[in-house]
Amino acid sequence: MAVYELIYPSVLDSEEPMLENLQVLLYEHGVCDRDTRDFMLAVSEAFTNALLHGNRCRPNKEIKVLININHKVLCADVIDQGRGGEDKVKQKRPSSLLSEGGRGVDLMRYCATDVRFVEDEKGGLKVSIRLERQDDN
Amino acid sequence: MDMSMRERDGVAIVDLDGRLDLSSGTALKERVKSLFDQEKTSIHLNLSRVEFINSSGLGSMVSIMKETRLHKGRLTLSDLASYVQEIFDITQLTNIFEIFPTEKEALNSYHPVVTN
Repeated sequence: MAVYELIYPSVLDSEEPMLENLQVLLYEHGVCDRDTRDFMLAVSEAFTNALLHGNRCRPNKEIKVLININHKVLCADVIDQGRGGEDKVKQKRPSSLLSEGGRGVDLMRYCATDVRFVEDEKGGLKVSIRLERQDDN
Repeated sequence: MDMSMRERDGVAIVDLDGRLDLSSGTALKERVKSLFDQEKTSIHLNLSRVEFINSSGLGSMVSIMKETRLHKGRLTLSDLASYVQEIFDITQLTNIFEIFPTEKEALNSYHPVVTN
């Protein structure tokens, strides 16, 4: 089992290094392509939510990404420093196909085995993602 | 994500390379806006080198599609990787985008050949 803690400021430029770092970690642990794509997509959605809605792009707010990798499962906790918002995130749906937003939660649930939204002990939102690996490394 | 542009038979083609996410989606919108400013309203996006797309990237695509319609233009996509196609499928966005297997087929659709 390997555990990693990644911390990023809440700026748009943080998205790319987060995805790059995550991809490198998954590659180093021999995670298969399909699991890599699914996990990256789920974490990316949680990260974007934390950036835009949790921390509202405030550079002084941090997004913490805790990654846990073992041979059976990939886990991530994405934690913002906002003010909860658990119910809003759970209920969000795009109003129509022409909506530009609102697809993130559904994509998270599509990609991951389990997704949970809880209020972090410090008041922000913690999104916990769990993906059971298709390969068995 | 890297972007390059070319033109063929009056269609502006944007080649995308990398991840289509929040920041690159914003950059793509700006690039397409510059095409509208040049009165280019037939736009084709070649996604053959797009390895990743998230909901922000999809949102940018929807925004571009709506802008194209406002300009009375046309937007086509081609060469989606199987995973990217899957994301379009499960979000049902295949219902609002014109997606072609290849760029050639997409460009042919702009200039249909009439045979007697």
